[in-house]
Amino acid sequence: MSVAQVAEEDGVATPILALRNVSKTFPGTRALKSVDLDIRAGEVHALVGANGSGKSTLIKVLSGYHDVDPGAEAAYDGVPFTLGHTDTDPQHRVRFVHQDLGMVNELNAMDNLAMTAGFERGPGGLIDWSRQRQKTNQMLARLGVTLDVRRPLADASPVERTIVAIARALIGWESGRGLLVLDEPTAVLPHTEVERLLDIVREVQRMGASVLYVSHRLDEVFDIADRVTVLRDGHKEGTYDVSTLDQQRLAELMVGAQVDANFRLERPVVTGADVVLEVRGLSGTFLTGFSCEVRRGEILGIAGLAGSGAEEVPYLVSGSRAPSSPLAEVRIEGGRWNRLSGARRVEIPIVPADRAREAVIGPFSVRENLSLKVLDSVTKRSLLGRGRERVLVSDWVRKLQIKVGSSEDPITSLSGGNQQKVIIGRCLAAHPEVLVLAEPTAGVDVGTRQAIYTLIGELAEQGLAVVVTSTDANDLIALCSRVVVLSHGRQVATLQGRDVTEHNLLTAMEAETVER
Amino acid sequence: MSAEVHETLNEAAPDADSLEAGRTAVSSEGHPAGLILRALSPKNVSAVYVLILIIIVFSFWAPDTFPQFATVRQVLNSNAVVGLAALSLAIPLSARVFDLSFAYTMSLTGVTTAHFVASSNWPLPAAVAIALGVALLVGFINAVVVVVMRVDSMIGTLATGSIISAFITFVTGDTSIISGKLYGGFSEIGQTTRFGFILPVYYMLVVALVLWVVLEYTPLGRRIYATGFNTEAARLSGIRTKRIQFCSLLASAFIAGIAGISLSSILGSGSPTAGTAYLLPAFAAAFLGATQIKAGRFNAWGTILGVITLGAGTTGLALATAPPWAGNMFTGVVLIAALAVTTVQRKPSTGASLLSRLRGAKGS
Repeated sequence: MSVAQVAEEDGVATPILALRNVSKTFPGTRALKSVDLDIRAGEVHALVGANGSGKSTLIKVLSGYHDVDPGAEAAYDGVPFTLGHTDTDPQHRVRFVHQDLGMVNELNAMDNLAMTAGFERGPGGLIDWSRQRQKTNQMLARLGVTLDVRRPLADASPVERTIVAIARALIGWESGRGLLVLDEPTAVLPHTEVERLLDIVREVQRMGASVLYVSHRLDEVFDIADRVTVLRDGHKEGTYDVSTLDQQRLAELMVGAQVDANFRLERPVVTGADVVLEVRGLSGTFLTGFSCEVRRGEILGIAGLAGSGAEEVPYLVSGSRAPSSPLAEVRIEGGRWNRLSGARRVEIPIVPADRAREAVIGPFSVRENLSLKVLDSVTKRSLLGRGRERVLVSDWVRKLQIKVGSSEDPITSLSGGNQQKVIIGRCLAAHPEVLVLAEPTAGVDVGTRQAIYTLIGELAEQGLAVVVTSTDANDLIALCSRVVVLSHGRQVATLQGRDVTEHNLLTAMEAETVER
Repeated sequence: MSAEVHETLNEAAPDADSLEAGRTAVSSEGHPAGLILRALSPKNVSAVYVLILIIIVFSFWAPDTFPQFATVRQVLNSNAVVGLAALSLAIPLSARVFDLSFAYTMSLTGVTTAHFVASSNWPLPAAVAIALGVALLVGFINAVVVVVMRVDSMIGTLATGSIISAFITFVTGDTSIISGKLYGGFSEIGQTTRFGFILPVYYMLVVALVLWVVLEYTPLGRRIYATGFNTEAARLSGIRTKRIQFCSLLASAFIAGIAGISLSSILGSGSPTAGTAYLLPAFAAAFLGATQIKAGRFNAWGTILGVITLGAGTTGLALATAPPWAGNMFTGVVLIAALAVTTVQRKPSTGASLLSRLRGAKGS
């Protein structure tokens, strides 16, 4: 903060990175429209925007993954350079940690860092492993982190992988000015690990570097950033001192309309309605003897820290993962109890947590993705009715307000929020009585997020029973009138109505952890 | 077709949202002329252009023998079995399962049919039925190994192929089954000609037609592709992915059986190694097919186009009296070229050169 203020007062300080007139045109789309950006020395500069606003494109233009349209100018510390050619300058101080990190998870931290930094060699050119380990530990110690550097990254926690990626980006950069670009570093992190990452970012700032921090999560912007630049629909909305904004205002700048950062559906606790879903005796890797009832029109939240078993509930209930208890049973609408262990197929529609791996079929179009669960309903005499399929799909595209040029476009051309809507549409098209959602707003921007909340609320209003788990407490607060809190696989609390608050949720999740 | 065009137009026009988001509709999208141009673009049917090039080249290289209707007949007649084999592969490949044992299944069914025709007095249909039953049994074993026992399909079917080949040697002693009885009804299966083409050409077209309808116009086809593209997502959407992969191996073995019977009938004998030669050409045609018409998806007509293109090239080389290694060389080169071109097309960035893309990736 201090450095940024000094620069402001001087009024003459050269920005560490200056971009002018950056545009990027894809066939049929202008993803960036002459964006200017100044990043001051020593500041944490947040870059925010809704899905499809051009954040990722800007980062990819900066890193040279995309060629920039002609007419753009860029300067590092006052020295002009050609965008996309930062790598040709070994001295360049613009470093990237991309969203997918680009680590080899089968290898450990030592090997991953050595792939960039080189190995410490001993006699005969053989690797001197003890010196190598020392060097790795030093690189991590700069960030104030100690890790088991010999453990494969696949076994490390997501935040530890991110930290190793940051350490790798900083190789050969002892101290002083520079720019570290973090592209959505918290997108895949559980909320509980975000704080640890933010500490690392502060550490990098303390080393004298500037950080360009791309994120969806507005609370992080206020936690960490000095200034924030908002992109909307490919153009720059503005750059603001974070101290002059609040979450509400920032969200509105991103969406370009009124939004409520503390949005809640405020639905009453459901008591009288029929029980639609009953589960009993459900156990998984962590979950032990879980039972619950969900009534018509109810949105039941399941909360818990990583390892509490909460994250398993959607998969176990929907029948997509075999329970460890042979007696686990599920009953829908007071019908017959069905054993889950013998379940051969997914009966209850599920919106999975990991969209790319578990939900989206990349080479398929929006249409093919959306109609996947209801192919039989558009089939006549065992042939697919293309016309009926198109009608069904365009119906859902309209109902869910999915932003898409044509439903024949590949689903991967959509933003995260719109992909999520397609997946929800896939489940809803089957007219289910029950829907389970895992991480319903992961990688979804704030405007679309509210649209998804409202949508789920409307569905419940129409009688759908919903089970939802999320590591983002805001999801549960916005959606649920009843939340079951799990700890170490067991149910430890139930919160209802106005008692569903962030404070109560965290207390319930963590209090029991300490007790044990 | 024109109804489809209209629908696309109507869908594209009133989309105010997308305009707001700065996404102006792509000009070729939904425009009738654009659709036709796209259908004929080298991205979709590059093999057709290669085929035209082949015809031109060999018309000059072998002007006396190549540019004749007899060449068309020869290409199709001598590649019908390749076509059947390639179509059999396209099914499991669509569900992301390899079946390397199909070539041995072809030999096995050929030998089986020849055996029952030659050394017993059973009617021909019974012998064919038994052979197809044997093919299904092989498919079942493959499916158990790959789907139930979860052995990687590439290695698993290589192993079952080896076992089949051992079994054939054990039964036949590695000698072809030759008998006068094989010149009767048995030889008609593969040697009868209609309109200049042998029956296996028609078998191939029928199988392609069925496969086209199933993959393109039935829920099953959509589920097969979904399974192949993202098995976990397909499973979580309620698709019985294991059943689909299981059945794809059954179907593949069955069609390989048809190919094997046709082949032994064409040869007029039950050769214990007849199928092995079809391993490379069939895979080449199937993978070349996946770059054609419906790029990125194994598909029936793309496979047929692949068979014809590769067949025309090898036939032309033979007619031009090129050295014997030229055919395999040609197949290999065309396959790599087709796959390389399609992989490059799928890259998200169109402008950046490969080199600068690599540089960009290095920084990540």
